[in-house]
Amino acid sequence: MKSAVNWSVAAIIVIGSLLLTGCGFKDIDKRLFVVSIGVDLAKNSSKKYDVHLKLAVPSGSKQQPNEFTIVSEQADSMSDAVRIIKTKVDKEIDFSHAKMILIGEELAKQKGNAGIYYWLARRRDIQLIAWVVVAKPTALDVLKVKPKSEQIPSNSLFLAMGKDGSETPYILPDFLFDFKMRLIERGLDPMLPIVEAKKELFEIKTTSLFNKNHMKLTLNPEETKALNFLLNKEQKSAIWARKGKTRFFIDTQKIRSKYKIYTPKGKPPYIKFDIKIKGIVEETSRKIPNTRLAKYEKEVEKETNKFVKNVLVKIQKSGIDPIGFGLRYRSRHFNENDWEEWQKIYPKIVFKVDTKVKITDTGLIE
Amino acid sequence: MPTTKVESIKKSIMNKIQKAEDVVFKENFTKEKYLETYYIKSISDEQVLGKYVLKPFFEIQGAELFLDYLQSHPKISTFKTEAQTVESLLRGEAVLFYQDYIFLFDCKVDRNNAVQDTTVETTIQGPQSGFSESLPTNLGLIRHRYPEATLKVESSQVGAISKTKVMLLYDTRFADMDTLGRIKEFLANVKINMFQTGEQLLDSIKKSNRSLFPVMLVTERPDRVAINLSTGKIILLIHGSPFAVVLPTSMKDFMASMADIYQTYWVGRFLQTLRYIGLFVSIVLPGLYVATTSYNPEIYRVQLALSIAGSRNLVPYPSFVEVLLMLFMMEMLTEASIRLPKAIGPTATTVGGLILGQAATEAGLVSNIMIIIVSTVAISNFVVPINAFSFSVRIVKYIVLGLATVFGLVGVGIGFLLFIAYMVKLDSFGQPFLTLIQTKPNKK
Repeated sequence: MKSAVNWSVAAIIVIGSLLLTGCGFKDIDKRLFVVSIGVDLAKNSSKKYDVHLKLAVPSGSKQQPNEFTIVSEQADSMSDAVRIIKTKVDKEIDFSHAKMILIGEELAKQKGNAGIYYWLARRRDIQLIAWVVVAKPTALDVLKVKPKSEQIPSNSLFLAMGKDGSETPYILPDFLFDFKMRLIERGLDPMLPIVEAKKELFEIKTTSLFNKNHMKLTLNPEETKALNFLLNKEQKSAIWARKGKTRFFIDTQKIRSKYKIYTPKGKPPYIKFDIKIKGIVEETSRKIPNTRLAKYEKEVEKETNKFVKNVLVKIQKSGIDPIGFGLRYRSRHFNENDWEEWQKIYPKIVFKVDTKVKITDTGLIE
Repeated sequence: MPTTKVESIKKSIMNKIQKAEDVVFKENFTKEKYLETYYIKSISDEQVLGKYVLKPFFEIQGAELFLDYLQSHPKISTFKTEAQTVESLLRGEAVLFYQDYIFLFDCKVDRNNAVQDTTVETTIQGPQSGFSESLPTNLGLIRHRYPEATLKVESSQVGAISKTKVMLLYDTRFADMDTLGRIKEFLANVKINMFQTGEQLLDSIKKSNRSLFPVMLVTERPDRVAINLSTGKIILLIHGSPFAVVLPTSMKDFMASMADIYQTYWVGRFLQTLRYIGLFVSIVLPGLYVATTSYNPEIYRVQLALSIAGSRNLVPYPSFVEVLLMLFMMEMLTEASIRLPKAIGPTATTVGGLILGQAATEAGLVSNIMIIIVSTVAISNFVVPINAFSFSVRIVKYIVLGLATVFGLVGVGIGFLLFIAYMVKLDSFGQPFLTLIQTKPNKK
């Protein structure tokens, strides 16, 4: 008797749970994977934004590479645009593989787009490990680019941003979660790499710096590289210096930098950067003998000091803080008004850069 | 001349045994002696009888001398009860009527005592021979490998009709007396008419609690038996079966191959790890496929997600139907290749595995990835060294698959948890089933 009751309870639970299906179950071939999301300012329209979704179209056979389509819609908000785009395709749109978010340059320069940025973070199915970039001239142009080496749509951008593919000091990739944090956190401002569409390839070598709501400053490739040194992101790089008539390049194997904020009483506050560089001579216009490497090291140190300091000052002058000095200051000071204090300190703070260069060899056997 | 009492016993015994061609009653005379022998020639060894009874009968002169001979011969025992005599007779002993005495002479034919090669639990290295079908030979094989004075052998019978002789072997130093008691109790209560082999016990113990997994290990390897004796296990030998039953059994025993101790340390460890991974894969993989393709495709990398989506493009059915279809095909194939004679076996594998698999993808019935998954599941299932356990594991994957179909990835987790919880609940004669690190026997 008791077991009969148990069985019927079990049966009811099983049958009941079968009714619960339907919402979650959707086969992989009934989904359309969005690989990149692009947002531009709408042109010649009453609507505000132009949203593009790049959808991967999987191919059945191994011979054909995977194709893609771009579906666009103009709307005043992201939610609207995505809902309308759903009516244009036959399968369910799946954002779980949208690993690239492109913000058109014009849009980035405009104020009041926080809605879009937070929409990305609010959506459960957009992964926070997606990369956010600024697209130049427009997001659509970048989405349309199809490099020859690409087998899967947008894969070349994924590879360029991630460390899987190319390793270069000119790209400072930023994840969505980090972007969101930088948008909110006081004392740390967003920075996004700029992807420029060329005919059949991309060019990613400049960086855009944001204040809390729009793009404010663009760093050129050399400045991007310097910022890279300061953030300890990529070790493989190259720096050049001049000694007399000799112009030479150092291929770096190791770059380490750290800084400390000093606020001595009665004296102006300053930030001291210590940068350690190790590398070999990669190219030179004249012969550099092994015995005189120390002198060349000095030249590199001088050059780097000057160059890094210029970049820091340039960023400081525009009043933004991508390295996070403000956050560091706030984390070391516990008074109530630390943020207000920092805002007073930052515009007039002095940078001191101390570089130590070690050239291990000339790259040649003498 | 025999007295009336002996005469009446003789009559009654002969009445109980049905007349047959192989039932022999023979009278032997010399000048001063008279001996009657009564035996069944198909199960008794007439040569032995001739050598130890008839030849001395004609050679020894005095009647008293021959009686002394009979009484002192180790193979000859005296009459106890009528019922016991009948039973011994049916087991191949000869009944001797001499003067006022009745003797039983042990001249059983020991058939099927050839030692067989291992076919079920094969190893690359180590001993290659298994048990024979003869109980004394098997006992001998074990004693040979386990020469310890503490080895105790107890005999009993199982089976209402078959009256199969069963031997209980254990090392008195190591065996747990509590477990031994439970096993004896179990054997006394087993209700089987025809008891032929140890595997039947698996079934009869299941009837008491419907266990999904076997809680006793049936093995054909004397070396495994010897090792288990030394860890305090109790061994059951059954007359007429080349398999021994090892009790109590934990899950770890089912995952152990004898090859483990015949390999170097790291190789053994590696193989064992491989087996556990295989077990995990064969349980979880079909469910995982359904859960990830239909609920959480974000788990894959983009490249894989697109290639799975591409290969599933032509498949008309949802993923769980696809998996069930392929698994069903695989189970059929496995069953077929067991049943088929060895000569056609490979044909079935070729037809099933290669042609069906290839054609199924070509026809768009299943995706390419599915074929890989099904074959991985099949192969990793065969990695489990003990067959009885690997059969049980085959069932578990359907439970996980069902839960995955309904609940997605959570279902896979729940399914695996249920699997572990169930094994924790099981016990084998009072010993916990899921002990990855074996508890030391003889706690006190």
